[in-house]
Amino acid sequence: MNTFDSIIIGAGPAGLKAADTLANFNRKVLLIDTDAKIGGKLNLWDRLFPDFSSSQELLNQLSKNINNENVTLKLNTNIISIKNNDNHWMATDSNGNTFYATTMIIATGFDVFDAHRKEEYGYGIYKNVITSVDLEKILSGEVSIETPSKVAFIQCVGSRDEKVGNNFCSKNCCICAVKQTIELKEKFPLTDIYCFYMDLRMFGQSYEELYRRSQQDYGVNFVRGRVSEISPTMDNKVVLKAEDTLLSRPLKLTADLVVLMVGMEASKGTKILGNQLNINNTDGFVKSTDRYLSDSETTLKGLFVTGTSKRQMSIPETMNDAVNAAVIVNNFLNTL
Amino acid sequence: MDKKNLILKKLDEDVRFHEALSACMNCGICTAICPAAEFYKYDPRAICNIVQMGNVDEIEDLLKSDTIWYCGQCMSCKTRCPRGNTPGMLITVLRKVSQELGYFTESEKGRQQFAIEQIVGKNIVNFGYCVHPDIVEPFMHPEQGPVWKWFRKNIESVAPRFGAVYHQEKAGALRKVDDNSIDEIRRIFEVSGGNELFDTIEKFSEQKASEYHQNADHDYLMKVYTDNSGEHSK
Ligand code: SF4
Ligand code: SF4
Ligand code: SF4
Repeated sequence: MNTFDSIIIGAGPAGLKAADTLANFNRKVLLIDTDAKIGGKLNLWDRLFPDFSSSQELLNQLSKNINNENVTLKLNTNIISIKNNDNHWMATDSNGNTFYATTMIIATGFDVFDAHRKEEYGYGIYKNVITSVDLEKILSGEVSIETPSKVAFIQCVGSRDEKVGNNFCSKNCCICAVKQTIELKEKFPLTDIYCFYMDLRMFGQSYEELYRRSQQDYGVNFVRGRVSEISPTMDNKVVLKAEDTLLSRPLKLTADLVVLMVGMEASKGTKILGNQLNINNTDGFVKSTDRYLSDSETTLKGLFVTGTSKRQMSIPETMNDAVNAAVIVNNFLNTL
Repeated sequence: MDKKNLILKKLDEDVRFHEALSACMNCGICTAICPAAEFYKYDPRAICNIVQMGNVDEIEDLLKSDTIWYCGQCMSCKTRCPRGNTPGMLITVLRKVSQELGYFTESEKGRQQFAIEQIVGKNIVNFGYCVHPDIVEPFMHPEQGPVWKWFRKNIESVAPRFGAVYHQEKAGALRKVDDNSIDEIRRIFEVSGGNELFDTIEKFSEQKASEYHQNADHDYLMKVYTDNSGEHSK
């Protein structure tokens, strides 16, 4: 029987950092991911807000300890069920393999909102409507495009929207949009950028300053209004309809490229496991016992949760949360 | 009850009011999709905001303004509101309160309620049709073009050519609505408050007409029907 001190499901930033921390406490960890590589959603972003540091560089740092003798990494492994048996946790994958441990940490993270669901924005219908994730590939140079003359960013796509069942704010897309507008301006200095927002939620250190720089140094335009729909033009551009709510005036904007700032939903894995164990909120994210005092614990003994499987977090928040979870798990193991 | 409380009470008593507006975040999607907002000085988001803020003076101004009469009641706004509101239905409620309190006579578009009540309203209870060729007078509808006069004159021979059963007691377009059905329609208007609303509109229009030294009759109807300040569009 393979017995570990802890099984961590999900090898994104949260899982990696928790594994690293537990390994340093000399705990035996099994780190599992359904993907073929580590890093999770970090792989979708080229550079990080607010300092434009490289996500791959961060991933390299994070994965340094992965070959540590205390950490066993299993990729391409899709955990479909978690059970507790006689104070032992068991995780079973889609091939019927079962792994055993004293504790289990859910680090299954988030999924990017599927923009096809906001049909009125035409993602997948008009080729010049892309998501913020698609834009990263353009910014990194992996995909090249002609210089656009006008680009519109639409915020809150799949968030703050009863119509798609997501009432929450995804928290990170505002500052991500600011980051991306600056990067786009650096790549295409002559391009005009319009960013359609409802509120600009600059919640983190130096975010507000970056927002200011985007206006002051890069001339990005921010329009307060939510886009109702996008339609094509004869010359292969698209027209956006919105209201400039600060002027009380409906407006139409023709753009060559539209970037949808897709939100963060509980990932499929998070929803499946949370449902199975009955520890999720109505929005699909896993519920910790108490967000103030025991935010790494769940109501089930020996089962812990970290990172964006709980709620939307930035990368630094995720890392801190993962360290916290690892310390709590180590303390728990000490009491046994 | 003072006037201000009365307005709030009337809004609160209408079940549609609570259905139409719970919490608006002023995103402007409704205005962005609204066909009326493209042409008129009209902003459904701003209306939601005024009502939500609850300043009764501003709500009263709204009830007396042209603004609430620009909406085409297409309900496109309902399809997109991220907070599940229906600004078009809020308008429906504001209109009802404006009618009941007589505020509609304070605006040009509002005064047209009299023409609508006299024409469409009466048509329904008298003929079972809101619009029927017999009651669409050419002099009131120049937009129908000169062919309209000809059509009305020759309706007996033209109607059958597109399958209509003009004034016949058979199934099909332009059929005669039988007396039982008309009776039923009248009873519906009686028990549902339709007749009472007609009376209210007539009563307040009568008051307004007297300000112009008119009666609420054909002349007043033609006045409200044709008055146009030219100030309505953007
Ligand atoms: S962070 Fe900004 S863009 Fe993202 S959901 Fe919240 S308000 Fe909208
Ligand atoms: S119902 Fe009225 S407010 Fe709503 S979209 Fe139609 S015209 Fe505009
Ligand atoms: S769409 Fe809904 S939330 Fe947005 S302004 Fe209109 S009523 Fe308010």
